Amino acid sequence: MTDANATLLERAAETAVRATPAPVATRVRALSDRAVAWLFIAPTMVLLLAINIFPLIWAIQLSFTNYRANRPNETVKNVGLQNYERILTDSDTWLAMQATAHFVFWTIVLQTLIGFSLAYLIDRKFRGHAFWTTVILVPMMLSPAVVGNFWRFLYEPQIGLFTYIVSFFSGIPPSEIAMLSSVKLAPWAIIIVDTWMWTPYVMLICLAGLRSIPDYIYEAAEVDRASPWRQFWSITLPMALPFIMLAVLFRGIENFKMFDMVNLLTGGGPGSTTEVASITLKREAFEKWRTGFSSAFAIILFVAVFGLANIYVKVLNKVKSR
Amino acid sequence: MAEVVIRGVDKAFKDTQAVSGLDLEIRDGEFVVLLGPTGAGKTTTLRLVAGLEKPDAGTIHIGGRDVTRLDPASRDVAFVFQQYSLYPHLTVFENLAFPLRSPARRLPEDQIRRRVEDVAKLVRIHHKLENKSTKLSGGEMQRVAIGRALVRKPSIFLMDEPLSSLDAKLRGDLRLELKRIQTELGATVLYVTHDQIEAMTMADRIGILAEGHLVQIGTPREVYTEPATLHVAARLGQPAINLLPVGLLPDGGAPAGAITVGARTEHLTIERSANGHADGRVDWVEHLGDQNHLHVTLADRKLITLTDTDTPLRKGDPVTIRLRSPLFFDGEGNRIRGGVNT
Repeated sequence: MTDANATLLERAAETAVRATPAPVATRVRALSDRAVAWLFIAPTMVLLLAINIFPLIWAIQLSFTNYRANRPNETVKNVGLQNYERILTDSDTWLAMQATAHFVFWTIVLQTLIGFSLAYLIDRKFRGHAFWTTVILVPMMLSPAVVGNFWRFLYEPQIGLFTYIVSFFSGIPPSEIAMLSSVKLAPWAIIIVDTWMWTPYVMLICLAGLRSIPDYIYEAAEVDRASPWRQFWSITLPMALPFIMLAVLFRGIENFKMFDMVNLLTGGGPGSTTEVASITLKREAFEKWRTGFSSAFAIILFVAVFGLANIYVKVLNKVKSR
Repeated sequence: MAEVVIRGVDKAFKDTQAVSGLDLEIRDGEFVVLLGPTGAGKTTTLRLVAGLEKPDAGTIHIGGRDVTRLDPASRDVAFVFQQYSLYPHLTVFENLAFPLRSPARRLPEDQIRRRVEDVAKLVRIHHKLENKSTKLSGGEMQRVAIGRALVRKPSIFLMDEPLSSLDAKLRGDLRLELKRIQTELGATVLYVTHDQIEAMTMADRIGILAEGHLVQIGTPREVYTEPATLHVAARLGQPAINLLPVGLLPDGGAPAGAITVGARTEHLTIERSANGHADGRVDWVEHLGDQNHLHVTLADRKLITLTDTDTPLRKGDPVTIRLRSPLFFDGEGNRIRGGVNT
């Protein structure tokens, strides 16, 4: 990865050299063009190394030790692959992975279905569709912290609006709809909030996909006597598919590392039913202070997301090139 | 195949009148080309016949059936769009088979295969049936689009500048092929273009549209030699017709009311002046290989005509120019017949 970055930077430097007009070089007489180019990209490189590459390398190094950040004076012992071994055999981490998978899977399914349906409706270009697009986009513009806090109120069993509405329509007494404290409901509570917040984002990407399909293809299909149903399956969906897949990728990566909203809503509870991977990570790193162990966990998560995303992008490219 | 009758059709988009009072008959098996500049209402006319637009007034009959209010699917027409309107991610075969798979005309699979293969041979794409449609060249894509129209055997083919996005060589080839296919099938075609060569070479009749009106319709020969208006005359002929005020050249007998003289190559005799009197001067001889364009300055006007490749005229030569039964137009741009030969 560092190698790839280095070649990228070199290429950027070369481009800068080529793009720099001659007078600049003559004004800075003491420096060669190449040196000037490096000078310009140096700040970015330093920042990148300092806040991305260096911590990553350090974390990799820490993941092989028993280092604890709250006891800096203790001798650090190299434990080899022990941390990794413990994580991969620990049933708690697998529970966290399961919670994460449940969360990621259902948020993607719901957001894609609802988001695409909304985009499909908005794309009909009815009166006031621009207004409704804006209205639909509002949740996305809020801060996750605000959303988390608001929904805690909405989920409140006694005074919460959400609880009241559900109870009104279903007849179940509000006291039984404890969205955040019930083991059964809590995983769904966070899925609902994330879906509420991020469906607009998926809708926006899907809408871009639908708008990219030229009208004349539909007109050709109409003249060819394709039913609306057939037009949807043989034109709309295949042509919008790369966009849908892109939205799924973005949401998948985002939700794999979901932390802020869940932390505010349930803090991983009740028990550890909503303890997604990043919350486990935070607990291990900053409550139990097992820095080495949590570094190993972070590396595993990173490799998992990176690997999955890479495979997914390959598939996406294949779909796009069809 | 069937004849198409358009009667008094109007169509406006917001405050633009795209087509007004259009009357047009296309006979069974006829190739009619609508020619006109951008915004003349050609494409709108085509879309009205297809049912992609509904007229504000007037009626459209296809094969004796009133289709004015019907949607495209129930009109039995085929449309070839200017853009390659292929279904991406489908193979050439599936693209060609697409119209045959509609519920209205569900055919058994072996029959579909036979029809598709026949049409693929006709448009010369049979060697690429299994290719993805996005992996084709522009010419191949448009062949598939034309093939998709042919496969259905509709009552009329509607073609909206199908060749305009192709390069010149390909356009020439496909032009010939299209005409060959039409003759082979005896197909009824309404074809829209702004390319006069396409119109002249393929059409049984050419309809000239201007600002939503059908100005003139007739065989290519008629429209070329007997244009009804200045506009029609200006649309046909390469190089374009030279328009001069009456009296600039000795024209013998311009009919009363004539304001403008229209002179194509065949209406002009240009010779090197012998006796010192000159009407104009050769400005430039443009060599095009198989022919030459002769540019002549005449007072403050410029004439462009065709001339032999072995013309003795050179740049700067003084020339006498004579008219031979040119076209005369009145102040409104309407043609006035008559005029005496000089």
